[in-house]
Amino acid sequence: MSRADVTIPGSGVSRAAWLTAALVIVGIAITVGVWRWVAGSEGAAGSAHFGRSAPPVGNVLRFVNGPEPETIDPGLMSGQPDGRIARAIFEGLVTPDPRTLEPIEGVASRWELADDGVTYTFHLRTDAVWTNGDRVSAHDFAWSWMRVLHPDTPARYADLFYLIRNARAYKAREIDDPAAVGIRALDEQTFEVVLETPTPYFLQLVTFYPFLPVHRTSVERYGDAWTHPEHIVTNGPFRLAMHRQNDRFRLEKFQEYWDADNVRLDAVVAYSLDDLSTMLNMYRAGMTDWNPSGYLPAEYIPYVQYYEDYRAGPFLGSYFYSMVVTRPPFDDKRVRQALALAIDREQITSFVLHNSVAAWGRIVPDGFADYPYPEPVRFDPERARQLLAEAGYAGGAGFPTIEILFNTSEDHKKIAEAIQAMWKQHLGIDVKLLNQEWASYMRTTIDREYQVARRTWIGDYVDPNTFLAILRGGEGNNRTNWSNARYDELVAAAAGELDAERRMRLLAEAEAIALDEMPFIPIYSYRTREFVAPYVRGWYPTALDTHPLKYIWFDRESSEPDMRGARR
Amino acid sequence: MTFLLRRVLVMIPTMLAIITITFFIIRLAPGGPFMSEREIPREARTALNAKYGLDEPLLVQYGRYIHNVVRLDFGPSYKFPSRAVRDIIFESLPVSLELGIYAILLALLIGIPVGSVAALKQNTVWDYAPMSLAMLGVSIPNFVLGPMLIFLFALTLRWLPPALWGPPQHKILPALTLAAIYIAYIARLTRGGMLEITRADFMRTARAKGLPEATIVTRHALRGGLLPVVSFLGPAMARAVTGSIVVEKIFAVPGVGQHFVNGAFNRDYTLVMGVVIFYAGFLILFNLVVDLAYAFLDPRVKLE
Repeated sequence: MSRADVTIPGSGVSRAAWLTAALVIVGIAITVGVWRWVAGSEGAAGSAHFGRSAPPVGNVLRFVNGPEPETIDPGLMSGQPDGRIARAIFEGLVTPDPRTLEPIEGVASRWELADDGVTYTFHLRTDAVWTNGDRVSAHDFAWSWMRVLHPDTPARYADLFYLIRNARAYKAREIDDPAAVGIRALDEQTFEVVLETPTPYFLQLVTFYPFLPVHRTSVERYGDAWTHPEHIVTNGPFRLAMHRQNDRFRLEKFQEYWDADNVRLDAVVAYSLDDLSTMLNMYRAGMTDWNPSGYLPAEYIPYVQYYEDYRAGPFLGSYFYSMVVTRPPFDDKRVRQALALAIDREQITSFVLHNSVAAWGRIVPDGFADYPYPEPVRFDPERARQLLAEAGYAGGAGFPTIEILFNTSEDHKKIAEAIQAMWKQHLGIDVKLLNQEWASYMRTTIDREYQVARRTWIGDYVDPNTFLAILRGGEGNNRTNWSNARYDELVAAAAGELDAERRMRLLAEAEAIALDEMPFIPIYSYRTREFVAPYVRGWYPTALDTHPLKYIWFDRESSEPDMRGARR
Repeated sequence: MTFLLRRVLVMIPTMLAIITITFFIIRLAPGGPFMSEREIPREARTALNAKYGLDEPLLVQYGRYIHNVVRLDFGPSYKFPSRAVRDIIFESLPVSLELGIYAILLALLIGIPVGSVAALKQNTVWDYAPMSLAMLGVSIPNFVLGPMLIFLFALTLRWLPPALWGPPQHKILPALTLAAIYIAYIARLTRGGMLEITRADFMRTARAKGLPEATIVTRHALRGGLLPVVSFLGPAMARAVTGSIVVEKIFAVPGVGQHFVNGAFNRDYTLVMGVVIFYAGFLILFNLVVDLAYAFLDPRVKLE
């Protein structure tokens, strides 16, 4: 290529000057940046917090709520981000205590259980109002609950209502008379629920968001659009002021809320985003006061766990591998046991997951004080080899290559790789890994078109039953084709057992069967890991990671001023 | 006029083909819109399928979709049942558009001067340094550049916020991240175009006439030298608007790109279809604009 010999003296000077200026600015920025960074890491001892340590100017709680909620209609929702918004703007009959999650008064100021063990009567307070001024009545609850149960309502959590008399039959169109369902408003202030069988955790369940009331006339007038900020009518401590998809919800304190005197926040901003690094950047930059659990990749733990605003605690969730037990070689119980015994759980939780979770050899996760946990499955390669040999695959000879299915995630992949190596090392069997994106993975597990799949189960309520019920035969969340008559009997017997201690024993007995039959290989019990700014008060670690926003406030006295970024 | 009319008429079968192919391809993906780790009760799933007509034969669904699209009704989102796809797109498209326009403006503002200087001072440091930087700009993907800029300007210097879409200071980093590759392209294209033009006969004539150097550069060299930039601008604008997905994610910008990706992951058929229709319309429109601009800038191009 020939070069052009034309030079144009005198032109472009201003551009050159401009370019120089730009380069100088960038240069300075990089220098200052690197210097600050180096200086900052030297002085890391001075900064005990990962985020800001001084409260923001206004009484506005800002947090990342996770991916955009699918809906804020409590009757239809099924996700935690959806639930956080719903629980702030609606209030149920009973609400979770911020420390223990035990049911405490909400719209109902008191309630009683009749001697038959199945009839609950809730007495509603008279000063609970909707944001349009209407009084919250027992009819609102009756209508809202019946709406969930209506056969045409696509309510994801409708099955939680099935312990109410005739609820399932009505939903499935087996009966047509809504009056046969055990849900009734006796008068404006009295609401009655009749269950199929005594259920000790029923009140627990009522604190959950599908049981929140909705405003009948708004729903009927606006249809699917009733949740838009300009239409929505709510009854919780906050009201919906603004919503922009993939951006934020802005909630403002509802001044007429019956307990408004005890709500100390003026507003709440919940950001909707799904990128984990972005969430942490925002918290680090002081744009949020709380980064909820579930949004911190395990690989970050070693770098952030010593900051004082990092909080970890037990969480009712189990991580396990499930197998389709009707498909060889998994149809042999000894094979399933061998696979379970050949996993060194401690190694996975400490080296792969940096102790962000707890190694756990049971299906029911850690955290139930009254539950007599059965013997866990332990790491025992000797016994594993022996069982595999008994099943006819001594030293792994003749064992087919099996496949572990997981949905796309760095952590799932690392765990699968670790287990692949352990099964190879201890059992001499070959394992392939199969990664599928979420929807394909769901389809594959629901259709039971897999061999071994990574699974998670998060408790819906604080009771071991929420974990054990999924293994009942024919249960949609089982996905293993495993069923055991004795197991189903025990879980059913526990459901009807009024004596708490006996009930727990029945459940533990059922779990022992599952741990022997091993359709699920337990791996770990979840722990929460989140950031809470040091000035945030009224926030307590809870087993379901539920934090009613009503109780949160900012402590402006005791938190020291934020010196980071100040001139030295 | 006939040219315009013909181009607009060609759009119709093109769009129809795009809609049809997308409609069937997305349904080939395993899974469906109503699945979660926790199994949805059978009764609820039946109700959902009935509500959205997913229980009907595929061809019936297709026919109804086309019927609705003609009336600009893109249906409700499956993932966000309270929202219409049209509303979702109308809310998020302006954001992507704004981000894309900033990025392209930034690219022109930086790329053209840098490219011109590089061409005029060929084989000097004013050529090598920016062109090396441009090479870097083309090579560094935005999912690397974005976090680097955040680390430097947001977390370390604390000059700019690391995320969200709001007051102007929120728009600088995402626009810059998105612009990087276009700055580089435009600088190189300007340089190339200018180099070619400076060798043309009419440039020699202009010099021979004794025109001032500044006039020669701005009136003759730039106008001709920018032709490659202009033809690049159409696809670039369309790409900046439709391809800002990664930048939107890193900076939590509520644009349309995130709906495209998440829609596909969630099997939100109607949302994906809606975004595809808008993206396709956008690309076709911008190609048309480029053709018109070309005719305006280069007297050799005629629209019959």
